Amino acid sequence: MSAAPSRGPTDAVPAYYPGCSLDGLGKAYEVSSQQVLRALGLSLDRIVDYNCCGATEVKNLSQDVSVALPARNLALARSMGRHQVVAACNGCVYSLTRANDAVSEPATRTRINTTLERGGAPAYDGTASVQHVLEFIYQRAGAEKVRARVRRPLEGLTIAPYYGCLYTRPKRYTGVGKVPGTDDPEHPHFLDELLEACGARVVKDYAAKTICCGGGHAISDLEVSVAFSASILNEAQRAGADLVATICPLGQINIENHLDRIRTQFGPEVLRPVAYFTQLMSLAFGSSLRAARLANNFSRPDLFLRAKGFS
Amino acid sequence: MPIVERSLVEVDRTEALELEGIDVSGDWNTFLRSRVVQDLDLKVADWVKGQPQGETISRCWQCGTCTAGCCLHTDFGLEEFNPRYFIYLAQIGYEEELRRYAQTVWRCVSCNKCVERCPKGVKVEEVIHTIGSYLTLTGAAPESPADRFDRAYTENLLRRGVLDEPDLFRTYERLEGRRTPAGELLRMGLKLLGSGRLHTGPLAHRTRGWRRMGAVLREALTEDERRRREGLAPSPPPPGGPP
Repeated sequence: MSAAPSRGPTDAVPAYYPGCSLDGLGKAYEVSSQQVLRALGLSLDRIVDYNCCGATEVKNLSQDVSVALPARNLALARSMGRHQVVAACNGCVYSLTRANDAVSEPATRTRINTTLERGGAPAYDGTASVQHVLEFIYQRAGAEKVRARVRRPLEGLTIAPYYGCLYTRPKRYTGVGKVPGTDDPEHPHFLDELLEACGARVVKDYAAKTICCGGGHAISDLEVSVAFSASILNEAQRAGADLVATICPLGQINIENHLDRIRTQFGPEVLRPVAYFTQLMSLAFGSSLRAARLANNFSRPDLFLRAKGFS
Repeated sequence: MPIVERSLVEVDRTEALELEGIDVSGDWNTFLRSRVVQDLDLKVADWVKGQPQGETISRCWQCGTCTAGCCLHTDFGLEEFNPRYFIYLAQIGYEEELRRYAQTVWRCVSCNKCVERCPKGVKVEEVIHTIGSYLTLTGAAPESPADRFDRAYTENLLRRGVLDEPDLFRTYERLEGRRTPAGELLRMGLKLLGSGRLHTGPLAHRTRGWRRMGAVLREALTEDERRRREGLAPSPPPPGGPP
């Protein structure tokens, strides 16, 4: 049995784990996150020479490799003197916290540290806590501070908040719902509150809030992942939302990758622009559509927002 | 007790028979075929339990919470995807029945709702993937698209430490014999290039000093695969044969 995850000591400036998506296809998420954090007076210290966390794929081949990959990043954060690691991708939060769970067992920790050492990485003591950037913003700034920072309220926008799977799940890894001050694992609301603080109307009965986007099966099981991506948009339509906000590059990219198939299978009326929540927050804080990189998204929220009077 | 299961009754048993001088000829229609499964083999249960990802299988008490909330079973409507049942079959070692789902088990999308909700702390998602690995490793299931993707993903990432997303996409499409039209690829490529996101091939990100770590992890991967295959002789193909 492993210990319950806990958040442990906090840092003034936690370490930041970008993960491969934020440096790749999810660049707009990275850029807009930095804008939002700066506007709120928060900062994070990037882990230099991080490696990809292995998401949900590597564990199906090898337990040790799937633990060593994220553990190396956590070890780097610890060698930067940090106890806290912030990640923006649900998949990263999952695999980093899963590694923490695994190394809480002494025998596993010893074995993983041998691997890390042989590979030239520092050993990992298992004491870095991991949280999602959404939780970090919510806890450090909160809705009040966000509201005070808004220059350009998102009035006239109705947004469906899409959290996806692994932001909260499973709590035995992520600690969400177990650790005080974290979100509700079944009915998360941090994103709702932050977007409302930005002046948007947030749909309350959004049935697809925490459903799966198809995750790692985005291209290996099209039947399933197209159906899930479509229902994320379809439920947004039913709830009357004209925009979907995401907190995970995998969700964002999966939906956008399937837009053509969704249009063909379910009709064009289901389609909605999809944007990272930090892009929308950055817009509310006064960034231009261009600065928030809203034209980067394949679903082109910039066109929709321009028509709504944003520039 | 009356026999209500007519299909179990063999009716063509009318025979002439004399036992100890008494004529007992007649319709011996109560000879039942055996309903007892006799070929249970705990090999699958032991193997799954022996994997770090599968060890929690023994905690399962078959409540079905995982399946009730399973996004594939309930939301997508793939009713034969039943994690509770897969666990049950593995627990009792009913491999023949388990093999009927060889084309289904791999489809778990790892949403982890089952792990979140399991009242017994079973890591259902990881257990299901472990059962899937057993089916593939014993040859009972053909390698699935997800198996191919996981492997392509892992190899891609171990090369430089950071995933080369466009390359993973291309490699995987090649493995499946699929091809996105060149025009679409070009359109996507240009968009990524224009926004400074085309980190692929020579432009790909890499982790400094990864060569050594990559070699050690590749070794660990090979060792894990050897260990997983150990003692698993390939089983005969499932009845009816793979498609």
